[in-house]
Amino acid sequence: MTALDGVTLGLERGTFTAVMGPSGSGKSTLLQCAAGLDRPDSGIVRVDGTELTGGGEAELTRFRRGRIGFVFQQYNLLDTLTVAQNTVLPLKLAGRRVDRRRVRDVLTAVGLGDRLGHRPDQLSGGQRQRVAIARALVTEPRVIFADEPTGALDTRSARGVLRLLQDAVRVHGRTVVMVTHDPVAASYADSVLFLADGRLAGRMDAPTPDRVAERLAHLGDDVPTGV
Amino acid sequence: MFVLAMRSVRQRPGRFLATLLSAFLGATIIMTFNAMHDTAGQPGVDAVSSETLATAAGVVGGYGTLLVFFAIASTLTVNVRQRAAEMELLRCSGATPGQIKGMVVGEAVAVALAGAALATGPAMLGGRALLAVFQDSGQVARSVEFSFGPVAFLTGFPITLLAAVGAAFLAVRRASGRSRRRGRARTALTWAALLAGAAAATSTFAFSATDAALMAPPAYGAILLSVGCALKAPRLLAAVLDRLPPGGASGWLAARNLRERAGQLAGILMSLILFTAVATATLTMQAVENDAVAASGAVKSVDAKNLETLNLTVVGIIVVFVCVMLVNSLYAATSYREREFGQQRLAGATPGQVLGVVGAEGLVLTVVGVFFGTAAALAGIVPFTVVRTDAVLPEQALGVWLAVVGIAAAVTTGTGLLTARRVLRTPAVRAVASAA
Repeated sequence: MTALDGVTLGLERGTFTAVMGPSGSGKSTLLQCAAGLDRPDSGIVRVDGTELTGGGEAELTRFRRGRIGFVFQQYNLLDTLTVAQNTVLPLKLAGRRVDRRRVRDVLTAVGLGDRLGHRPDQLSGGQRQRVAIARALVTEPRVIFADEPTGALDTRSARGVLRLLQDAVRVHGRTVVMVTHDPVAASYADSVLFLADGRLAGRMDAPTPDRVAERLAHLGDDVPTGV
Repeated sequence: MFVLAMRSVRQRPGRFLATLLSAFLGATIIMTFNAMHDTAGQPGVDAVSSETLATAAGVVGGYGTLLVFFAIASTLTVNVRQRAAEMELLRCSGATPGQIKGMVVGEAVAVALAGAALATGPAMLGGRALLAVFQDSGQVARSVEFSFGPVAFLTGFPITLLAAVGAAFLAVRRASGRSRRRGRARTALTWAALLAGAAAATSTFAFSATDAALMAPPAYGAILLSVGCALKAPRLLAAVLDRLPPGGASGWLAARNLRERAGQLAGILMSLILFTAVATATLTMQAVENDAVAASGAVKSVDAKNLETLNLTVVGIIVVFVCVMLVNSLYAATSYREREFGQQRLAGATPGQVLGVVGAEGLVLTVVGVFFGTAAALAGIVPFTVVRTDAVLPEQALGVWLAVVGIAAAVTTGTGLLTARRVLRTPAVRAVASAA
């Protein structure tokens, strides 16, 4: 099965891009290929000017560690670690020095400065996702990939998470790519890319929820859909 | 619910392989040795042969029952814990706790019956081989014919079934978390085992060097002490981890994981402690005894030979059984961690680092298990050696101990690493999604 076909895409540094499309349009595959979690059958992925090589998992992991941060719908925090320990895990794994003050600062910035010793199961969904964002930010990556980061959250928590992603771009100059199916979430981005049946199906700058929803509703019109 | 149980076994036979293996091995041991009762009960068997056979059957039969129960209980507990999601689903679709219990017990019965049925053939062969061993050493007359009869069947099947049903009830109870009372019973049992073990080991000094029964009190002492240590295993593990400096990212993660899962790892630690204590104590004492007899120039009596055969058989069985148990529970516990490994990889761990975590965990488990197993073994070996010879520590102990520790370390780390390597073949993104 072909999930993605002939997609060419370049993203500016310091931009916040949302990727939208119906289920099965290849959004997640695009994100995973770009992040080196999945390998395209053909094509090139460049992050921060360096090509993602076709090495083994260990090599790809080392490549990702310094440049890419992740945020997932299901948080993917380790249950056995506290909030602070989860946050410093990528640094520990990369063999980097752990600056306690900086970890506290990052967690305070996401509003969890008083929860350092809590376990993920003692937190709400929104709080867990903010830990995940802190974990993604702590390594100071070039790019942050977020796969449906608000998919499991209520609207209030979702807003908090999206503001944090926005801040990562505007305050810290990172690049954020977010896959979502929620027009409101997409409206927090600088631009929205639409994907349908594995192909790029348009782009919208300065999105608003209404315009995004309108565009999504008619996404199938100009692209022949196979059954 | 029984229909559901049958379906669940038939649809996923792989899941029940661990339990089936425990039931099969257990039933084989029980039937092999109880066939000695059948053999001894035949008309025309002389008194000496009959006694030898009955003793072997009695001693190992008792051990066997305990082991089977322990083995099936630990595999079933792992099995039930891993199916928490399925049981939650059943609960949501209207199954009462009683019905869920019925399903788990039904599965256990089916698997135990299959295990016992499969064990019949090997048990017949094993019994024949055992009789041949006794005959070769001259403990049983050549004229005695092998018989596999009612005693073997009537013990093998019911014991395996009972163990399975009891273990299933226990597993459901543990999984549903209503086990506050168990804590107190466990503490009482732990102290009883430790005190009885210490008393048995100390009572060795009341015997004289040439008493035929000299080996019994220290051996039982060592076993009881190791059971006591094994029951305290989770606490011991936590205490050791608190004093352990973390080494690197993998070591750091391993220490956190072990501390969090100390309760679940109790079964693995228990197997390790029992294995080390029983194997080291029995083999060392037998070696000391052999050398002492050889030094005095005396010829071994039939009783002494019986004891040696028994010692070696018991150790052999326990070693094999506990090894299988270790592999079994470690495999199940590690393959269950696919999602956790996936999360570690997504957080930036290379496959090598994940394996490092698993390896470090195995190493800590081995060290803790071997340490307490050795302590329990020494509590038996030292009194025995002091009374039997004039030394305190026999020179035979080191070789035996090294071999035992080598096997324990190889099995524990080997199983963990091999399983983890297999689990790591799933791409990280899919590993995280599969259990979500």
